[in-house]
Amino acid sequence: MRFLDLLRMSSTNLLRRKLRTVLTVLGVVIGTASIVVMVSLGLGLRKTTMDQIEQSGGLTTVNVYYYEYAVSSSGSSEEQTQRINDEVVEQMAQIPHVEVASPVLSTYVLVKQGAYEANFSIRGMTYEALQSLDIDVGEGQLPPDDGTLQFFYGNQTLTNFYNARTNQYYWDTMEAPDVDLMNDPVFVIFDMDAYSQSQYGGTDENGQRIAPPKKYIIPTAGIMAGTLDDYSDNSYNVLAEINALKAQLKKVFKNKAIPGQPTNSAGKPYKEFYYDEVYIRVDSMDHVSEVQQAIRDMGYETYSNAEWMEQTQNQMATIQLVLGGIGAVSLFVAAIGIANTMMMSIYERTKEIGIIKVLGCDLGDIRTMFLMEAGFIGFFGGLIGLILSFIISGVINLVAGEYYRGISYIPIWLVLVSMVFAVLVGMVAGFFPALRAMKLSPLAAIRNE
Amino acid sequence: MDKAREPVIQVKNLYKIFRVGSSKVRALNGVDLTIYRGEFCAIVGTSGSGKSTMLNMLAGLEKPTKGEVIVAGEHLENMSENQLVKFRREKVGFIFQSFNLLGTMNAVENVALPLMFRGIDKKTREEKASKMLDLVGLSKHKKHRPNEMSGGQQQRVGVARALVLDPEIIFADEPTGNLDSHTSEEVLKLMRKVVQEKNQTLVMVTHDNHLAGFADRIFHIIDGKIVKIEDRKDYKEEEQ
Ligand SMILES: Nc1ncnc2c1ncn2[C@@H]1O[C@H](COP(=O)(O)OP(=O)(O)OP(=O)(O)O)[C@@H](O)[C@H]1O
Ligand SMILES: [Mg+2]
Repeated sequence: MRFLDLLRMSSTNLLRRKLRTVLTVLGVVIGTASIVVMVSLGLGLRKTTMDQIEQSGGLTTVNVYYYEYAVSSSGSSEEQTQRINDEVVEQMAQIPHVEVASPVLSTYVLVKQGAYEANFSIRGMTYEALQSLDIDVGEGQLPPDDGTLQFFYGNQTLTNFYNARTNQYYWDTMEAPDVDLMNDPVFVIFDMDAYSQSQYGGTDENGQRIAPPKKYIIPTAGIMAGTLDDYSDNSYNVLAEINALKAQLKKVFKNKAIPGQPTNSAGKPYKEFYYDEVYIRVDSMDHVSEVQQAIRDMGYETYSNAEWMEQTQNQMATIQLVLGGIGAVSLFVAAIGIANTMMMSIYERTKEIGIIKVLGCDLGDIRTMFLMEAGFIGFFGGLIGLILSFIISGVINLVAGEYYRGISYIPIWLVLVSMVFAVLVGMVAGFFPALRAMKLSPLAAIRNE
Repeated sequence: MDKAREPVIQVKNLYKIFRVGSSKVRALNGVDLTIYRGEFCAIVGTSGSGKSTMLNMLAGLEKPTKGEVIVAGEHLENMSENQLVKFRREKVGFIFQSFNLLGTMNAVENVALPLMFRGIDKKTREEKASKMLDLVGLSKHKKHRPNEMSGGQQQRVGVARALVLDPEIIFADEPTGNLDSHTSEEVLKLMRKVVQEKNQTLVMVTHDNHLAGFADRIFHIIDGKIVKIEDRKDYKEEEQ
């Protein structure tokens, strides 16, 4: 028999029993759609996470933290890890695969312009480290290396400003504050203790009112690109070049203790600076865990997106497995439906099958005819199921909103795989009924009931 | 006359025994017969005598319990199911008592069915089927479905379907069983005419002695045994 004739025969047989065919196809539609939507959710979730990680400084960054009170389990002070100083940072820089190692010096300041003021933690890093952050500069430039202290503001820092006259925050009015960091002078207060004491009428040991601390004008190097709503890793940060920041702090606090820096037993500050955080850039994602381990062995806490992603990837694999499993079960039920439909149609057509056998229809052709019928059910079920999946996926993305846009993602390979799978399910389900049809006795046809 | 004596069907010592529970039914109980090319043979007997069993065996629809069946030079008793189907597709036409047309197809498509199984394209096979329908006098009913035709018309479609392949042998199991006597005669005469023109062999089962009278030879069968072979050729020649 010709292929075209086989096709014609099986399709007319399907059309003959429209309602039943539609119902069976519906089973496959639901099965396919649930698998595709489930998998698309898994894929989309993974894709959004990847994008977010990409946004938040990539996968080769390792952050090292020092916790003063995270004493080792034995509790003895001898075992306590050394505070991070430049020497320790230099050791970390020597670890293989480390490209950049920079201390992060954080200090709290108050920034003022006109009626507006905001509290910031300035992050001082080396020039090299600042360059390696992959920051998208909107205006100006990154803090320079020439020893002058200049601040670089993240694109969302403006939302921190508070209008001292109206007592309103950005989040109250949702209006951008009238602050021009680039062109108008920015006043910065470094001595926050003195500032708050002067605000609340504190006195020094001689009973004299504390005068408000000195304000410094710190020029702005630049501002990050992006609107007030574009979040990224450094969008809320204010960055500075670390040596310039150190010089400034020494100048401000003279021989007083710098806030956040440790003091000796006599309450005097040490000569060198100590840090709570180190920023490290590794040459490739594959070496991140190796570097992390080396640093952990030195006794410091580490954090990296790569590590976090490994965990989320495992979680997502589980989620995908569960979701895909639900889909697989529904497709399995659909397969039973197909087998049942095919069986029924063979019982109904016993006589017809007998006749064509008497007339000399090849056994293989009979089998192919029924397999095709089952395959058709799978094919159309798969096709409609895919269309439905795209609709559902669109609706999910619409409902999920801005942040989770693309949470349901159907790549082309999923389309192809699910199509092939649906047809295959149909044919496997139709296989035994087809064999049965092939083996039916032709005598059934000529016996007159 | 020599050419006409070439045997097409040879049956030797044929047995068919059905087991029903613990008892045995001997549907065929040692049959020997030879049918020659171009002959029109009738198998006559009472109900349950084994006529249909005989015919099914000749058409390769049923396996003999014992004995040989040689049709068109081929031993059917050793053939696999696949070979039997191929044998029928190439050598045999079959006419059913209850017509057995496919209800979803019209007359032309029904007649073209055996050609489709042979892998002939739609256009060619429908042309041929159409000619065949003209031959059996159904020019006006080509697009009719079985349920839009009378019994006689349906059986003519059945005849056309059996003949469309130009088979060597045509088997008919009570082809007129569902028709009135007048229509029966018409259909039979038609069959005989077509078969004689093409020197095909026709084997027909009937329990009607009158209809059997159209045949060249009549095999009388009782309880699975051939008891009498009636040769009508001389009689017919005398008649003319
Ligand atoms: N599949 C079967 N199983 C058991 N017994 C069978 C089977 N087919 C036929 N028989 C028996 O074989 C015998 C011959 O049956 P067959 O159908 O050949 O009769 P027949 O001559 O064609 O009768 P009718 O004129 O009624 O069609 C009967 O006794 C019948 O009961
Ligand atoms: Mg019978």
